[in-house]
Amino acid sequence: MRTRLYGWAAFPSLLLVWSAAAWNLPPYVLPQPWAVAAEAVRWLDSGQLAAHVGASLLREAGGFAVAVLGALALGLAGALSPGFRAFSAPLTGLFMAIPPIAWAPLSMIFFGLGYVAITMVIVVAALFPMAVTVQEGFLAIRNGNLRAARVLGARRWQLIRHVYLPASLPFLTAALRIGFSQAWRALVAAEMLGASQGIGWMVAMGGQIGNATQVLLGVAIIGMTAWITEGLVFRRIERRYRHWHLA
Amino acid sequence: MDCEIPTSLSDNRLGDFSNDRPGGAAFRVDGVDFTYDGALPMFRSLTLSARPGEFVALLGPSGCGKTTLLNLLSGFLPPDSGRITIDGETVTPEMPALGHVFQSPQLFPWLDVLDNVRFGLRMAGRLPDAEQRDKAMAVLSLVGLEAAAGKFPHQLSGGMQQRVALARALVLEPRLLLMDEPFAALDAITRATLNEELLRLCGRLGQTVLFITHDVEEAVFLADRVVLLGIAPAGIHSELAIDLPRPRHLRETRRLERFTTLTDTLLERISAIVAAA
Ligand SMILES: Nc1ncnc2c1ncn2[C@@H]1O[C@H](COP(=O)(O)OP(=O)(O)OP(=O)(O)O)[C@@H](O)[C@H]1O
Ligand SMILES: [Mg+2]
Repeated sequence: MRTRLYGWAAFPSLLLVWSAAAWNLPPYVLPQPWAVAAEAVRWLDSGQLAAHVGASLLREAGGFAVAVLGALALGLAGALSPGFRAFSAPLTGLFMAIPPIAWAPLSMIFFGLGYVAITMVIVVAALFPMAVTVQEGFLAIRNGNLRAARVLGARRWQLIRHVYLPASLPFLTAALRIGFSQAWRALVAAEMLGASQGIGWMVAMGGQIGNATQVLLGVAIIGMTAWITEGLVFRRIERRYRHWHLA
Repeated sequence: MDCEIPTSLSDNRLGDFSNDRPGGAAFRVDGVDFTYDGALPMFRSLTLSARPGEFVALLGPSGCGKTTLLNLLSGFLPPDSGRITIDGETVTPEMPALGHVFQSPQLFPWLDVLDNVRFGLRMAGRLPDAEQRDKAMAVLSLVGLEAAAGKFPHQLSGGMQQRVALARALVLEPRLLLMDEPFAALDAITRATLNEELLRLCGRLGQTVLFITHDVEEAVFLADRVVLLGIAPAGIHSELAIDLPRPRHLRETRRLERFTTLTDTLLERISAIVAAA
């Protein structure tokens, strides 16, 4: 119970420290939390906030969806074929070592400024970590369960439907969570470089015109979106499978 | 293995689950060589067979290849040479004649106990769902677990999991049942009860059983014949026919002088195997 309380205290503490720091600084450097809240209301009223968040989510959805399909294909191929696995491992390692935002300029030269250029950066960011998670997950499906199913008469398609599929649910959701957050990080960075709307643009523009309130509002929205999807959606699904490895 | 069928409670339950007598299958391991990749030879021209309905217990020191032999017999591992047949047919894991209880339970963690037991029936798809459930329940009660039908594997003790694994194999009425130390994780009382249940069941269904155990008394109590496996690649060290009368009962059978003589003989031979290593 005590430990719980510390958890509840975390966000109020952050706000207190922020507010205390803001007392001692001019508002154009660090505005008070309520100033940011008032800014949020202004943006909401004008409909601008919805437009920017909507634009970002649209890019996230497109890039994430493409990355999911790609990761399933790559991960499955890697799990089924040792040759493909050996071939793709160094490449995957290389791509994961490069920060995805480093591709943004190239992507913009290729596709011009706009939806596709930014979405491609997201795809690159999310694809490889998801592919690795999917591949390792399939490889870890226990040989023992497969043998048990075969000797109980399961044929190839039944194995896929009744063993591979249910056994893969835990790591598939883990892969989605990892991919979504990687995509989100890359999206915001890419929008800061080359977009005319979106949350990343909102932050970058706020910085250029010296509007710290707008920057902080953008940062807060970025953080909360990631936190809500990760904590409330993906982790909750994952929790359901936690006991599976014990059996 | 013919034994008269006592009319006990559990035997009545057994009646719900099977009325016909599927009988046993003969298996034959014929001149089999086997080596794991990059390891020393495990078996060299190993030969072992059982007639239909025979109960064979396999004893041997840890690591001598008992589980390996069972995996060869299930068709999970292909022999390097030689042939393994069940009723004359080269074995594959999917053969309906085959039942396999693994050394660890290998239950499906995403299914509850009843659905674990029902798995094979679902794959076969010959019975309507309700009948599959009834049958699975009948076998569950046979291993004393009807109360656990709705639980998930992680909610069961190791011994309960192993009994579910046994039920999952039995529900398909395999004519050859391969069992890899199925009762090793159980306490002595449950184990003894299940030993008796197993014998009653085999008397009823008449299946052939190959049963791995480390426990000499368990082997003698259950088997028609005990096969001793030596340290690889020695292969089969020796065999011993168990000429104890059937039906066998826990206390009565173990009190027989012949029972003690047989266990002593086996213990001496095992000591010899281990000492020679
Ligand atoms: N997949 C494998 N690859 C390589 N070697 C293996 C493999 N499985 C088992 N072995 C080796 O083969 C030998 C026999 O193993 P096996 O599991 O058949 O022994 P066992 O008689 O069942 O032992 P236990 O009584 O401890 O269960 C052991 O030395 C083991 O290390
Ligand atoms: Mg073993």
